[in-house]
Amino acid sequence: MTGKIKVKSMNNDNLKMFMGKYGIGLVLLLMMVVIGIMEPTFATSKNFMNVATQVAINGMISYGMCLAITTGGIDLAVGAQLALTSCVLGVTITNSGMNVWTACGVALMVATFFGFLNGFLIAKFNMFPFVVTLSTQLIIRGLSQVISGGKAISLTSEAFKGIYSNKFLGLPIPIVILIVISIIMYLLLHWTKFGRYIFAVGGNVNAAIASGVSEFWTKVGVYTVSGFLAGVAAIIFTAKTGSAQSNIGVGYETDAVAACVLGGTSFAGGIATVPGVLMGIFIIGFIYNGMNLIGVSSYYQSIVKGCVIIGAVLLDMVMNKRNR
Amino acid sequence: MMKKVLAITMAITMTFGLMACGSTKTETAEPAAPAETTTEETTEAETTTEDAVAEVAAGADVNGDGKVIVGYISKNLTDPFHAPINEYAEKTLNQMKSDGVIDDWTGILDGETDPNKQIDRADECITKGCDAVIVLPAESEASDPAVTKLADAGINVIVVNSKTTSTDARAIAYCGSNDVEAGKMLGEWVVKNVPDGGKYIHCTGILGNSAQIDRGAGIAEVMSAHPEFEMVGEPDTQWSGDKAANATTDAIAQYGDELVAVICDNDDMSSAAQRAANDAGRSDIICVGVDGNQNPLQMIKDGDLGATVLQDGVGQIAAAINVITALINGEEYDSAPVIPFVLITKDNVDEYLQ
Repeated sequence: MTGKIKVKSMNNDNLKMFMGKYGIGLVLLLMMVVIGIMEPTFATSKNFMNVATQVAINGMISYGMCLAITTGGIDLAVGAQLALTSCVLGVTITNSGMNVWTACGVALMVATFFGFLNGFLIAKFNMFPFVVTLSTQLIIRGLSQVISGGKAISLTSEAFKGIYSNKFLGLPIPIVILIVISIIMYLLLHWTKFGRYIFAVGGNVNAAIASGVSEFWTKVGVYTVSGFLAGVAAIIFTAKTGSAQSNIGVGYETDAVAACVLGGTSFAGGIATVPGVLMGIFIIGFIYNGMNLIGVSSYYQSIVKGCVIIGAVLLDMVMNKRNR
Repeated sequence: MMKKVLAITMAITMTFGLMACGSTKTETAEPAAPAETTTEETTEAETTTEDAVAEVAAGADVNGDGKVIVGYISKNLTDPFHAPINEYAEKTLNQMKSDGVIDDWTGILDGETDPNKQIDRADECITKGCDAVIVLPAESEASDPAVTKLADAGINVIVVNSKTTSTDARAIAYCGSNDVEAGKMLGEWVVKNVPDGGKYIHCTGILGNSAQIDRGAGIAEVMSAHPEFEMVGEPDTQWSGDKAANATTDAIAQYGDELVAVICDNDDMSSAAQRAANDAGRSDIICVGVDGNQNPLQMIKDGDLGATVLQDGVGQIAAAINVITALINGEEYDSAPVIPFVLITKDNVDEYLQ
């Protein structure tokens, strides 16, 4: 109802653009208001800080996933990347006594390399991303079991754990990382040539190739970035738990895909926005957090989560259709 | 253009919103101190009743909000061993809430066997203003920040089933069982049933897990005193019945009649191992494990499995809830109740089979 009134007062095109791209933001807002009314402790600054810190891990993975989905692919190896990077950190810091920052660098390089490998296999041999990453995740998780011997490696370095618990300008480091990466991703996807290539390859490969876009390097770039971001997520994860393990990150790709889809990333490829994905990430975070604070029985939570995702996407689709 | 402006505005608002959040903290621990001084100042006539109330509140209501809220962070909702524990906790805490013993509880928070998620759930318990939180850790090392975080917030943490690294230092109580005892019971059962000795394999849990280490130590302690037994393999079966069954068929193929027993760190594995042995026509092989899950119990009743060592999970969670009740009543409590294991055979299986 209010929408119709606004149509008249506001520039028509702008509203269409707004609803089309950010309709999901309304879902997020609505959700926050409803949960806030049901449970007052939800709407406290401390809780919002908690959620923002919690979603940083899924946030990193989701951005990588978003790039992969936008090119028409998917990256199922992110969960295993989390485990491998974590184990590399454990082996380098605890077992070899390497400097924390050097170790983080090495770990990121390993994650980035496997991202590159995914991209290379997908782009060079034109294999299905689903199949390639499904296989490489086995290899990557296997490697993490090999280097850790299947055991948990404890990380006692305060400097390293500080990556999760320290604060910068009053913000926990994971939130700072989330903000920085969000800005970088925004610039990368929406303001650079590489970003436009990603949309081009995802939208119409043949047209992109005909216009001189390198499909190979675009895809390699996308999966390499995804690997790097999974590495960043793993550093936050490992600093949080203080332990490097090969069994972590199982099923994490699900939440990442969900965040992307909520954020309006199209599985057909070629459509995505970084702010949309960011909102998707927060919706996923608030679903978990809100239901626990309200006291929804955990037995029903995954049902609710599934319904919210379908409902939100459906709403987005309906709004998009009407406004198109 | 509009799109970009909007996106940037959003990013900026969010950043500032979060920054503003950073400054408003530092409150939680204070209320306790003023409360004490006021009770001291009141006249004697009033104190008799009020003092009593204050003391009780001081015992359980740590954050001084006048409510006693209990948190419950489960290990997961899927493991057959954890299902009855969660069920008992849900029933009992709901009862306590309707009886007015506690004001509220969080419901069963799903730890998803993921230390990362357990730490997030701990954050939520703090937000909800919990005074006491029961934690069933997923990992000894990685779940530890959940315990320390809660303890840092002044919350009484009760760790159940398996310890985290700093449980002894930071939790007010640990309600578990001594896994070395369980290991010994496994060894003794095998020694009793195969007096002549022979070769056996030991199917382990996930390496590095405290239950795996302690149960292994108990088994080794008993078996090392019996030289007629020889361990011919310690496959890394990771608590998985499927892997234990494969290890058993492999061992039967390799050692034939010399293989007399398969000792497993849990009974998902021992029941699968026994089934594999029975299928191979070797029902004489003694398979035994720890936990007391319904499936192995059913096998004992049907005569397919000799015995299993029951870890009394419900007993553990009951002990943890007793600690909370004691806190509320201002009573003394045992900070490390040891819940004994029970050997289950055909004779007593009916008591435990549901």
